[in-house]
Amino acid sequence: MRYSVNEWTKSGSPWVWLNAGAVAICVIMVVGLLGLIAARGLAHFWPADVMQATYTQGEQDSRIMGELVQQEMVPADQLRGAGVEVPEGVETMRRDLLKVGNRDFGAADFVWAMDNLITDKAYPEMVMVAERLEWGNFYGYLREVRESGETVIRHDGYAKSDEYLDLWTEFQQRLDRVLEIREQILDIEKHKIGSINYALERLRLQERSLELEQSTDAQAYAEIETQRAELNADYEVLQQELIDLYTQINRDSFVAEIADGREVQIDVAKVVRAFQPNDMGTSDKLLHYGAKLWEFLSDEPREANTEGGIFPAIFGTVMMVILMSVLVTPFGVIAAVYLREYAKQGFITRLIRIAVNNLAGVPSIVYGVFGLGFFVYFLGGSIDDLFFAEAKPAPTFGTGGLMWASITLALLTVPVVIVATEEGLARIPRSVREGSLALGATKFETLMKVVLPMASPAMMTGVILAIARAAGEVAPLMLVGVVKLAPSLPLDGNYPFLHLDQKFMHLGFHIYDVGFQSPNVEAARPLVYATAFLLVVVIALLNFSAIAIRNHLREKYKALEM
Amino acid sequence: MTSEAKTHAIDIAALQRGDRNLNLGDEQITLQVKDLRLSYGDKEALHGINMDIPQNRVTAFIGPSGCGKSTLLRCFNRMNDLVDGCNINGQILLDGDNIYDRTVNVADLRRRVGMVFQKPNPFPKSIYENVAYGLRIQGINKKRVIDETVEWALRSAALWDEVKDRLHESALGMSGGQQQRLVIARTVAVKPEVLLLDEPASALDPISTLKIEELIHELKKDFTIVIVTHNMQQAARVSDYTAFMYMGDLIEFGATDALFTKPEKKQTEDYITGRYG
Repeated sequence: MRYSVNEWTKSGSPWVWLNAGAVAICVIMVVGLLGLIAARGLAHFWPADVMQATYTQGEQDSRIMGELVQQEMVPADQLRGAGVEVPEGVETMRRDLLKVGNRDFGAADFVWAMDNLITDKAYPEMVMVAERLEWGNFYGYLREVRESGETVIRHDGYAKSDEYLDLWTEFQQRLDRVLEIREQILDIEKHKIGSINYALERLRLQERSLELEQSTDAQAYAEIETQRAELNADYEVLQQELIDLYTQINRDSFVAEIADGREVQIDVAKVVRAFQPNDMGTSDKLLHYGAKLWEFLSDEPREANTEGGIFPAIFGTVMMVILMSVLVTPFGVIAAVYLREYAKQGFITRLIRIAVNNLAGVPSIVYGVFGLGFFVYFLGGSIDDLFFAEAKPAPTFGTGGLMWASITLALLTVPVVIVATEEGLARIPRSVREGSLALGATKFETLMKVVLPMASPAMMTGVILAIARAAGEVAPLMLVGVVKLAPSLPLDGNYPFLHLDQKFMHLGFHIYDVGFQSPNVEAARPLVYATAFLLVVVIALLNFSAIAIRNHLREKYKALEM
Repeated sequence: MTSEAKTHAIDIAALQRGDRNLNLGDEQITLQVKDLRLSYGDKEALHGINMDIPQNRVTAFIGPSGCGKSTLLRCFNRMNDLVDGCNINGQILLDGDNIYDRTVNVADLRRRVGMVFQKPNPFPKSIYENVAYGLRIQGINKKRVIDETVEWALRSAALWDEVKDRLHESALGMSGGQQQRLVIARTVAVKPEVLLLDEPASALDPISTLKIEELIHELKKDFTIVIVTHNMQQAARVSDYTAFMYMGDLIEFGATDALFTKPEKKQTEDYITGRYG
């Protein structure tokens, strides 16, 4: 059969292939990106088996113990250059990255080992992994449990025996006790003492403002003094409680044998969680995985953000986006209504429209600089002078904070809302407006009762786009209020509950901080993926809720396409 | 009869209905148009119209497309105010007062002179809220008053029996004919004096059209009705008086049966016998 290229072109097939190809590439990129960060990030929480092996380096044999993190092929030449012995005639060699932990007893918690030098690989059931508050993971064999320095129980085997299990059970019980006490300590330190400190600070500010007013009202001073005395008395009581708890929590310790055969003593109080991954079944591992994932979502970060959870960052991100939406929606809608409905259409409105559209293209860091200069230093500084003089020289609003970050992002996203709302208003059919006017409604009544409700899906589209842009923004936030580690959430139980002046954590910045500012890159890497995945999920959730609202509104006001 | 010789485009029998000995001189006049000129920018669309619209009668405007009949209709409730560059000279008196006077409140005027448009334009609200809209705009909030008025308006628009069980469903779920009657009910609910209908049946099927026409016949007991239509049969069926307009001029205006059977002007005769238009 003769085949004509000309005819094929005319039929439109190449065009269809071109379009389908473009769509396919988009889909592959999106799915690939999500798949990569999800796989890399979520695998981090799976309790990996701990390998024990003999590593022969030079003439010396040593025992190593750790999780296999990564394997890669390295060209032999490169290794020879680095002084590694490589057999003749080999092109590439495999190299393993092991997480050996025990940072406080060895040099590094990650080591590279040549795969051909590792022998006698085994996965002993009784190897213990302990996640700790400091120094990262611990790997070793449990030997002994001590109470106030006295041995309670000891066993020296490597195999899974009844004696070993007794030792393990004893250890777990003591660990549970420690966790319980730590909970109490946290409650006292964070909440009770936290609110006393907050109250004391408020009293100090009250006193300071009395001094600034040069008040001579002795009664006022006396009142502050009595309140302060009361608070201090409460504080003393709590302090005593804390001391007791600390004594109790530090009672127990354990001894363990690490890879090189040394026995080391560690306080149980330092341990967050201990488990024996090689002895766990799939269901145990799943449970463990769930617990770790939940910790990641709900806990605060530990160890320079490389361990623990990222709850404050999630909370900060969501809080900021919500505040931003609350600010940007009315502002953008009102501006759009004026531009479209009231302003005389002409050269100036066209100029304003062009300016608004161009604002959307201004790099975000420029908004950050503007926010810092205008909002933080100028507005915030003036607010401090007027209302928070007593707190000076410490700034209240004169430094980056949740409010300034939200306002800066609102400014960044307002063009999107204006454009979307304007388009929505333009789409409302003239006939509906005339119907309302013909019933004796004024222009304002028509706007409020008919036009704006009908344009609300378009406004929501604007808000969705604004959220999508704002939630992923990092650069301006670094200048106007996001920090590496915020001591408390911007929403808590202390009056006035929502602290707009506080600095906060943000997922985007967290990724940057953990990934590129962390002293322990290997440990942080999986967290970068996990956090990135979570950021995408959070943005998607925020978007989906906005889309759900929009679809609801669309359903309500459909059939406008007359 | 001389008319038998002519080939009429309309059903003469339709004219043999009811009291047909109408004479404009005997009527009470509601709207008086005095030398009304209207221009869009430089282009004059109405060249000095003079006419009297009688009370509780149906007055139809006919004429070819672009003759200015809708424009004239929209002058009666000042809908043309919304058009940029529209300039109006002359007077329209509603019960003796010029509606183009500076002191007139346009919203009040539109309450007195209601309007129904070519395409049904219900609001995206419930049936009940559509009818109650005008009342709420007037600040009427008593549920009992609104309930009664909504029922009365829907009955007036011959819609009550069809929708009484789904008053709180969206008006957008109704058929086109129902929507148009809903819009009429909505307009009637604020109890205007004059009802302006701008080709109310042009987007509807024949059955719905028939219902609207019957409705118009009922409504003229309570309202003065002015209807624009491009359908001469419809004008003959529903109206008491007919005005024929051509190129921005009022060519002939008189009782409908007289105008259709014995037109005085050659242009009118040509139009109704279908020679052009």
